[in-house]
Amino acid sequence: MKEPVTLRLSLPNIPEIELVALESLERLARHLGIPDEKIGEARILVTEAVINALEHAGDGNPTVRVEFTMTSDRLTIFVRDYGKGFEPSAVEDPDNKAERLQKRGWGLKLMRSLSDGFRIQSGKTGTRITITKMLR
Amino acid sequence: MEQPFSLTTELRDNRLVIATRGYINNVGGEAIAEAFRRHFAEGVKHVVIDLAQSRVVNSIGISFLIEMIETLQEAGGRLIFTNLDPAVEKMLTIMGLFRYAGKENAVEDALQTFERQP
Repeated sequence: MKEPVTLRLSLPNIPEIELVALESLERLARHLGIPDEKIGEARILVTEAVINALEHAGDGNPTVRVEFTMTSDRLTIFVRDYGKGFEPSAVEDPDNKAERLQKRGWGLKLMRSLSDGFRIQSGKTGTRITITKMLR
Repeated sequence: MEQPFSLTTELRDNRLVIATRGYINNVGGEAIAEAFRRHFAEGVKHVVIDLAQSRVVNSIGISFLIEMIETLQEAGGRLIFTNLDPAVEKMLTIMGLFRYAGKENAVEDALQTFERQP
């Protein structure tokens, strides 16, 4: 299928709401015949992007917008929150070769490592993450 | 939809097998850590975490497992993961977990590894 399929969700900040996004993603992916391994990696990308957004969503508008655009060979994940934003360059990647395993702060590193394209824009009106994942 | 988190524990020759089902987030991670702490206090130092029924994990859930790996390491014990979904395995590799924890295809393989390397 060459025509992209798009799905948009608005997620309230309630426990495990990211599973709703995953369910939607899997339905699209199965429909398009995406291999299991790619779906698995996409699951991690979506989970980390949504929990990161929920963490930064703040109290004013604690909603996270998620958009998937998928063809049989490419997935674009867009996640947006309406929080206070943060300075992405100030977030140091944890070191997987450090003497001790690092417990927290893996979200951005995982999204960069498992994707084929990663972009983050953050400012006073919130944060937008755009992830591209090749599916073949 | 992913099933609600649950786990079972089994002691086999003083080796703890924790089999999880469902999403491993902060709630699932804490439940695993709690099951581990109970047995660790009674002297268990070899642990298998079987993730056959957990295809969805997040980095916060994994942070609880990292704590377990460190506790075991300090006590001269070891943790082995089994039945990893390929994407979850990739995630744990990126996070560096296999420098300090093992991985095997199945629970029996992990238990045999403990036999060979007590």
